[in-house]
Amino acid sequence: MNTLIQKPEEVAEGHYRLRIETPATLVPRPGQFINIRVSTGTDPLIRRPFSVYNYEDGALEIIFRVIGKGTEIMRGYEAGRGIDYIGPLGRGFSLCEHSSVLLVGGGVGNAPLYYLARELKKKNNRITYIYGARSARYIYCKDQYRARADDFAAVTDDGTAGLKGFATTLADEYIRKNAYDRVYVCGPTVMMAAIAASASIAGAPVEVSMENYFGCGVGLCSGCTIETTEGLKRACVDGPVLNGNIIVWQSLTD
Amino acid sequence: MIDTSVQIGPLRLKNPITVASGTAGYGEELSRFYDIGALGAVFTKGLSLKPRPGNRGPRIMETPSGMLNSIGLENVGLERFLGEKLPFLLEHGATVIPNVAGHSIDENVELCAVLSHTPGIVAVELNVSCPNVKEGGMAFGTSMPVFTRLVEAVRKVTAVPLIVKLSPNVADIAEFARGARESGADAVSAINTLLGMKIDIKKKKPHFYNRVAGLSGPAIKPVAVRMVYEIFAKVDIPIIGIGGIADTGDVLEFLMAGASAVSVGTMNLVNPDAAMACVDGIAAYMRSEKIHSLREIIGVAHPTA
Ligand SMILES: Cc1cc2nc3c(=O)[nH]c(=O)nc-3n(C[C@H](O)[C@H](O)[C@H](O)COP(=O)(O)OP(=O)(O)OC[C@H]3O[C@@H](n4cnc5c(N)ncnc54)[C@H](O)[C@@H]3O)c2cc1C
Ligand SMILES: Cc1cc2nc3c(=O)[nH]c(=O)nc-3n(C[C@H](O)[C@H](O)[C@H](O)COP(=O)(O)O)c2cc1C
Ligand code: FES
Repeated sequence: MNTLIQKPEEVAEGHYRLRIETPATLVPRPGQFINIRVSTGTDPLIRRPFSVYNYEDGALEIIFRVIGKGTEIMRGYEAGRGIDYIGPLGRGFSLCEHSSVLLVGGGVGNAPLYYLARELKKKNNRITYIYGARSARYIYCKDQYRARADDFAAVTDDGTAGLKGFATTLADEYIRKNAYDRVYVCGPTVMMAAIAASASIAGAPVEVSMENYFGCGVGLCSGCTIETTEGLKRACVDGPVLNGNIIVWQSLTD
Repeated sequence: MIDTSVQIGPLRLKNPITVASGTAGYGEELSRFYDIGALGAVFTKGLSLKPRPGNRGPRIMETPSGMLNSIGLENVGLERFLGEKLPFLLEHGATVIPNVAGHSIDENVELCAVLSHTPGIVAVELNVSCPNVKEGGMAFGTSMPVFTRLVEAVRKVTAVPLIVKLSPNVADIAEFARGARESGADAVSAINTLLGMKIDIKKKKPHFYNRVAGLSGPAIKPVAVRMVYEIFAKVDIPIIGIGGIADTGDVLEFLMAGASAVSVGTMNLVNPDAAMACVDGIAAYMRSEKIHSLREIIGVAHPTA
């Protein structure tokens, strides 16, 4: 059992950061996730997966959005409580070096991209970051993101922060104009599908982090299966990060 | 050394704790959590001759203390099972019982014939009750004439112990246990998932593309215990008890209701160590209660004649 370092901190409306003490032997890779058993009882029953937002000096961080039973309980956690999680799990992002990369996050899907940006920066990449959100009040830790990026743009549906519009439109524009060595995306399925399409037209490799419903997170149940041009893949063990060009997007529900 | 072994008809297992079909893959993932050779047996994912992609759309949904699944028997098919999955299991010392889930009587016959003549396979479990495929599947488990025809046909070609996995979606499960016994089955497993449904109130339609789905987990445990109890009371056939088992206390409940062994299912997904904790827990229980053989507790909840 790992200990919760501090009470969940609200970093944007309805979004919380959780800091968990983690053994130094289990350093996560960007794009990996942890699978949390929210309650010790049987309701909620199945574990909840969350991407690693950050890892530093034995502290693992996630950012979660309260949307249901489990995250509602997590919001009320007190510091010092034990957190029952399995992980880090899954395959993360590939890390390029000395390259020019575009990172696009949508909503809470920005979470795994922060840790990714940090690690990519260490490898001397030139980072362009597009932070998409519905509205300014849902944007968390913006300055931290900005600090990791060479170019940073926020886009909101309602124009309350940064540009008004959709991250997909801006991403498409950037991808057309610049020759990125790699594009990384995490967000709603429709957003990832659109950006994967833009990247593939431009011939840029694209990695997406899937966030579909997981039954177990460890490969036992086939509940997370995704259709790809290379056959069926289990998002929890073959992903969550997958090559965006092989996913059969129209087979997915959002 | 405590003897935790149990006898299931002609089949002897080193202990009564197994992992249920569809919740243990082909043993690979669980082997990262513990020694799968220490389990009573591993029931592998429902197998068909050809690989199956399973169902489209959402496949899992949590429910209060349980879950609904609509996996649709996604599996690697017989060839890859024999070529890749079985060798892995055997190398890890697992006792392997494939779950057979053909579309038709012919497909089940062919699968059982091949599997039961494959070295290393100690028994086969015939799945007559998957709610998640359109043809076959549940019809085999809910219509008595179809059911007995299937079990008889499979029995003829099966050279190892035959376990029939019963559907709980019938009025009287003991009748089907009797039918299985009379058609030559060596044991029954009970229960498979209960038919359930989820309506998406935003979309105003069923959540799963297949509309219905299988309910499992702690929520179904009382139903499963009752069914095991009824079968034990009415039919002389060994039972493998399944349904919501989470810990040693649950295992004991099933044994006392009349099961000779049990399978841990949904709880593997929540707690991959769950089955191994039960293996240790049963040994500890036998030691502290000074039980020499699990025979002493199997069915003890029934009135003595
Ligand atoms: C690999 C991975 C990484 C993730 N990373 C993060 C993260 O960093 N931060 C974060 O906030 N969330 C993340 N998620 C999503 C998160 O797991 C779910 O939001 C969470 O499990 C919801 O739990 P709940 O009990 O609050 O909601 P529930 O009460 O379980 O559900 C509330 C509603 O949300 C829907 N829902 C629940 N989970 C999902 C899902 N995965 N996909 C689509 N709909 C769903 C339900 O159908 C229901 O309508 C990730 C998911 C995956 C698979
Ligand atoms: C995700 C999932 C997949 C399953 N797949 C199969 C299967 O392929 N064949 C089968 O006979 N039963 C299958 N089952 C049923 C289980 O083996 C078990 O009978 C049932 O879930 C009840 O036990 P539980 O409550 O412990 O899960 C599946 C169950 C789940 C949850
Ligand atoms: S969530 Fe169970 S196999 Fe991926």
